[in-house]
Amino acid sequence: MLNDKNIYKPIRAKLTNIIDESPLIKTFVLVPEEEFSFKTGQFIELSVDGIGEAPFTPSSSPLLTKKIEVTVMRTGYVTEYMHMLKQGVYMGIRGPFGRGYPIESFYDKEVLILGGGCGFAPIRSLLYNLKAISDKLRKVTLCYGSKTPEDCIYKPYISELRQTPKFEVFRSVDKADGNWNERVGVVTILLDDVKVDIKNSIAVVCGPPVMMKFGTRKLLSMGYPEHDIYLSMEKNMSCGLGKCGHCMMGKFFVCRDGPVFTYDEIKDQPDIWN
Amino acid sequence: MQYRCMKKEEWDKALEQLLLSYTIFASIENEFGKDYEVIKPVNISRISYNRPKPATPLKSFFLPVKENVTSERAPEQPRIIIGIPNCDIEGLKLLDEFYLDNEFNDIFYRKRREDTLLISSDCFGIQEHCHCLSYNIKPYSTKDTDLAVINLNGTIILRVLSLKGEDFINTIPSAKSLEDKRTIEIIEKEQLSTETLLSASNKGLPDYKKTGELVREAQEGIWKKYSARCVSCGACTTICPTCTCFLLIDKPGFEKVKQLDACQYPGFERVAGGEDALQELQKRFRNRYMCKYVWKPEKFGSLACTGCGRCIESCIGKINKNELFMELSK
Repeated sequence: MLNDKNIYKPIRAKLTNIIDESPLIKTFVLVPEEEFSFKTGQFIELSVDGIGEAPFTPSSSPLLTKKIEVTVMRTGYVTEYMHMLKQGVYMGIRGPFGRGYPIESFYDKEVLILGGGCGFAPIRSLLYNLKAISDKLRKVTLCYGSKTPEDCIYKPYISELRQTPKFEVFRSVDKADGNWNERVGVVTILLDDVKVDIKNSIAVVCGPPVMMKFGTRKLLSMGYPEHDIYLSMEKNMSCGLGKCGHCMMGKFFVCRDGPVFTYDEIKDQPDIWN
Repeated sequence: MQYRCMKKEEWDKALEQLLLSYTIFASIENEFGKDYEVIKPVNISRISYNRPKPATPLKSFFLPVKENVTSERAPEQPRIIIGIPNCDIEGLKLLDEFYLDNEFNDIFYRKRREDTLLISSDCFGIQEHCHCLSYNIKPYSTKDTDLAVINLNGTIILRVLSLKGEDFINTIPSAKSLEDKRTIEIIEKEQLSTETLLSASNKGLPDYKKTGELVREAQEGIWKKYSARCVSCGACTTICPTCTCFLLIDKPGFEKVKQLDACQYPGFERVAGGEDALQELQKRFRNRYMCKYVWKPEKFGSLACTGCGRCIESCIGKINKNELFMELSK
């Protein structure tokens, strides 16, 4: 029996706070008017009334049910408008959509996370989730890269994470300033610093396409099997329902079959890094 | 197989009565060819039977070019569509898989499907680019529609193909059961002769089971050659009975307008950061073939081409998909 829900209709969510993360990145704190929950790694379609909508993976904990946080980089038409919004307005949410991270399959393993730029947003949600189940994990290692120290997001959260047992953080920037005392270079150089038991580990990669490509290559060269590398893919997910066709990646609809895929699932599909 | 029959005059009278409670569309021939028109008492006698094929694909009745998908709708009168070729009935099956899936069904599509009675028409004869049979699709319906109509020398014969169709035909008192085996034999002979015409006309086309492999393995040169005359107008996708890609456009009040879109248009896959897997014309051109012959079959188990030939007829660059396939299968 098919249900009568209108799949295109967003629910309204009040924008209760806006956090400046970097010159280009803001986090929007939203309180949905209706019940809303998601699994980490799933995404939503977030809309500015009358302007447009775009896909984002929430950056907040999936365990929080009253509010949801979405971290947005100003990079196109819709996000330009989002960055102009003021506290108190309403935004639209559709979703959650797609397949998130299979958290249960990370049990008893080390989790190595490679993130870049605004790709930290979905990763933060994942880290919140992993912290809640850290007794079931061996270790969580975050390698995070950004262009400059100014572009590093979630600074208070990084400090908190560094105090958390079983969690370690490595950071790099492409271009340092005088105050930077961590690594300088592309994010993949951080993988040279980490000690990881690859046999008992899985890797998660999320960031700009070029970083995902070289990150995956490096992980493969380190010995990670293809099925243990989880990628959060970025395509033009428009409807979120596996219908509009914009996010097709070979036979997959990224919005519905992903956005989280293992590398072995998608390696034969065309243009995965575009 | 159940058949009903009545005199053409009785059928025309029945249609006139049905106009009181249904909106009826039927294919009618005019100076430009053949297409669906809204039926009124005055044009009932002009309805064309047994002839391929209306210019408009069946999908247009279920997926408007543009519609608001967030606002409430006033109830619409139920519809009857008469004269649907079987290639379009096959295309509708794929649309159903897409829009009526368990997790995300489109309530607007579903309502239209539920409120529409489908009466297909056997094709006796073919058009220049018809090639349904090469995809193992017959030029007449035996399932997945409600009724199939044939006009045989002034007698209307209806093949009953669903419960909905049976319930409907039972409301027409003049529709009698057809027991005359000879008439059925005549119909079957006509069907066979159309298949013979198709076989001759489709000579050289590859086995449909091999099309996926041929497209997947095709060298870049083929795509370059055939896309050279493509101007990305999207006519092929607009008129294709199985192309359904769309765009959601936001309107004030969190309303959304769903508008048909196509992978042939530049920017279809572009993301905010600027990456665009289909930036090159040649890649967009190939994408349509990969979608229809490789990816949709992998996902849904059937080709997303029904051999209607409309994309060939509509191409302003005169790109002929069948010539491409003949070249691929050499």
